[in-house]
Amino acid sequence: MDELIRLDALGAGGPYHSRSRLTITELTGTPVAELSLVPRLFVQRTMAALREARTLPAHERATALARAGRLFATGVVDGISAEEYQHIVSRVSGMPITVVRSATAGIGRRAGEAYRTTRYARPEGAVDDWRDPLTRNGQAVWTRRGDVFAVHAAGNHPGVHTLWLEALALGYRVAVRPSRREPFTPHRLITALRESGFGDDQVVLLPTDYAVADDIIRDADLAMVYGGEEVVNKYGNDVRVLPQGPGRSKILLTGHDWESHLGTIVDSVSAFGGTACVNTTAVFVEGDPAPVAEAVAERLSAIPSLPPEDEGAVLPVQPVADAHAIEKYLLDHVNGATPVLGGDGVVDDLGDGSGVLRPAVFLVDRPDAPQTGIELSFPCAWFAPWSRADGIEPLRNTLVLTAVTDDDGLVDRLVEDPSIRNVYLGDTPTYLMPPWVPHDAYLGEFLMRTKGVIRT
Amino acid sequence: MATDPILDCPLDQVPEGPEFIQAAMRWHFSPETGSPYWLERAKTLGFDPREDVRTFEDLRRFPNVANELRDIRVEDLIPRGYGPDADVIGVYESGGTTGPPKRVVLLRDWVERLMHRTEQDLQAKGYPESGHWLSLGPTGPHVFGELVRWQAARRGGIRFTVDMDPRWVKRCIAEGRGDEAERYAEHLIDQSTYILETQDVRVLVTTPPLLTRLARRNALVDLINSKIAAISWGGAHMDPDTRYLLRTEVFPNVKIYGTYGSTMILGGLGERVAPPEEDLVVFDTFSPYITFSVVDQETGEAVRYGDRGQVVMHHVSKSFLLPNNLERDQATRVAPPPGQMGDSVADVGPLPTFENETVIEGVY
Repeated sequence: MDELIRLDALGAGGPYHSRSRLTITELTGTPVAELSLVPRLFVQRTMAALREARTLPAHERATALARAGRLFATGVVDGISAEEYQHIVSRVSGMPITVVRSATAGIGRRAGEAYRTTRYARPEGAVDDWRDPLTRNGQAVWTRRGDVFAVHAAGNHPGVHTLWLEALALGYRVAVRPSRREPFTPHRLITALRESGFGDDQVVLLPTDYAVADDIIRDADLAMVYGGEEVVNKYGNDVRVLPQGPGRSKILLTGHDWESHLGTIVDSVSAFGGTACVNTTAVFVEGDPAPVAEAVAERLSAIPSLPPEDEGAVLPVQPVADAHAIEKYLLDHVNGATPVLGGDGVVDDLGDGSGVLRPAVFLVDRPDAPQTGIELSFPCAWFAPWSRADGIEPLRNTLVLTAVTDDDGLVDRLVEDPSIRNVYLGDTPTYLMPPWVPHDAYLGEFLMRTKGVIRT
Repeated sequence: MATDPILDCPLDQVPEGPEFIQAAMRWHFSPETGSPYWLERAKTLGFDPREDVRTFEDLRRFPNVANELRDIRVEDLIPRGYGPDADVIGVYESGGTTGPPKRVVLLRDWVERLMHRTEQDLQAKGYPESGHWLSLGPTGPHVFGELVRWQAARRGGIRFTVDMDPRWVKRCIAEGRGDEAERYAEHLIDQSTYILETQDVRVLVTTPPLLTRLARRNALVDLINSKIAAISWGGAHMDPDTRYLLRTEVFPNVKIYGTYGSTMILGGLGERVAPPEEDLVVFDTFSPYITFSVVDQETGEAVRYGDRGQVVMHHVSKSFLLPNNLERDQATRVAPPPGQMGDSVADVGPLPTFENETVIEGVY
């Protein structure tokens, strides 16, 4: 690419090309884009404008979202076709091109469905409008908890940008702070939303210096923040903030027939290049986990090392120095676990400055081994023994738990445990995310509340 | 020993650089005229400034003694040549970012020289000839508020002030009490509101963070746009986008000019007057008294014009000597105007950082 792509901030007055810019490089270090960074003053003025802005009527929101979804997934946005966009995201983030493509289609589809999917969260007793005849005898009306919603987005997978579309559908004005790793997706999506009916003062992109990031949250009514443990620690007690913390998704295998679940385990570990919060981090096996780990390792080891834009690519690629930093982190934390795959290293240098992160499989000797909580952004799984006597404690703090078991009493306890966010049963991969199934509860539960209305 | 007249050069004249530096070295390092501090310190310099420091470049031979200003008795900083009745205007302290504060003494002849220079600058920029000034910034032991008081007084105005303790803010932030710093800053803005609402203030002097904070309140923005003719900012950095937005969107009819200064150079310098569309804020120096060098952080060598480096500040006057003080500020090196020793600086401030640290664990 000869000319750098210009990623302006998308403010309430339109795109803003700032004087302070961040160069975005692709995996080999070649600059591909310049991201405008906005200062605190710009942030506070933009957030104030969001607060002043009007909200589109619901049907216009739904229509605009659907139109934006089509444009995002298939159209030319800001001079960039969908294919070019997908190629850039793949080359910058290292995500396999096929994953980026399906994520693009997914965002397009979810935008079209966003209004409908918000309905799943609405309490059965609530109506949308005070004019509804039911309010004559008293009824709950479903109302927004605020007007302005802020998102500190992540760059691990384009799909993180499907969730906040529901906030737009519900009538929030939305500010997104993109990730430095991958600002292309929110830039394209917000540009598409603006071309499809949303006003510049209704959805904005605010790339900022780290020091200013909190201002976006402060000036919003509600916020969603992606991050690790540190984000949960920082915002866990703030009722205005919904942290999207570690996934630590898990699989529990009971009984003897693990072989028929092998494909599900392998896919759960390696789908999306292992970069998602719904990828399996730990597998608990009733009995001896070693044969399961070995079989999974064998399948994973057959995946080829390819550059991410290759049609056959499955594994994530990083600049080779970053890849080695992740590898070092892993090897520094093995801490007595038995390597089955990747114990000598996981980086496959592609020779162009980038490196493939190859799968890793480790065995630990007890279910409460701390390694089972180490979630890394490539296919990396920890296999642990588990018995009924160990109970559900090792399975807690989990975004998605797939349990292969016929013990309904155990399933009761898993479903009742508040730290397990989703329970999938049987041969179900952890990465399944149909729109009607909540991801980490419905976002609508956080964004909305019921309000009593009685008309006499 | 009589004072070399070049050290008492008339206020409206600029002494010739090397000649001035040599006279200053004779003054500060002669037993009859030098300060007790420098006369003692000279013993361990390993060179004789009266012989070996003859040009601007030679100032880099001095060690950076700024840290010693934390402990020195202020009496020992006054050159003996002033005699027993040196006209001390005041003692001022650094912000105290790192450790105990550094202390300097301001003598009357220096303040008059600095104020003359500042007055010329204000005239060139068309600051209002009358009306009052509001200093929303450090007072207390800091020179910031005093400079504003002197400027206002010279123009027949009154300086109103809101007291700000920057050390407390820094301490709150260092201790992770951002909410306390936030409360304190809002308290400062509240106080400035009372003054702006009731008094005939024409000039506002404050820091960029407080200016950004003022801009959060629409009523205050309206008040400033209707009352204030000029805003001077200093004491912290202003990024070019903030400057652009302030000038075009927030305060479009107010003159907005920056000042770059430090307690360690005994003053501040107004930005170079440039066309309004110019984004680059350049600070020329007050040569030969206050001068800068922009150097490579690692090697200490001068960077090329247009490149960024660390700012080295020099103060050389009859009243005080503090050469070769490496500041933490980063700046772009800019060619000086004719007749100025050393560099001009632009875009003073740190470059932005998108993330605070590299976090590996986790998928986000």
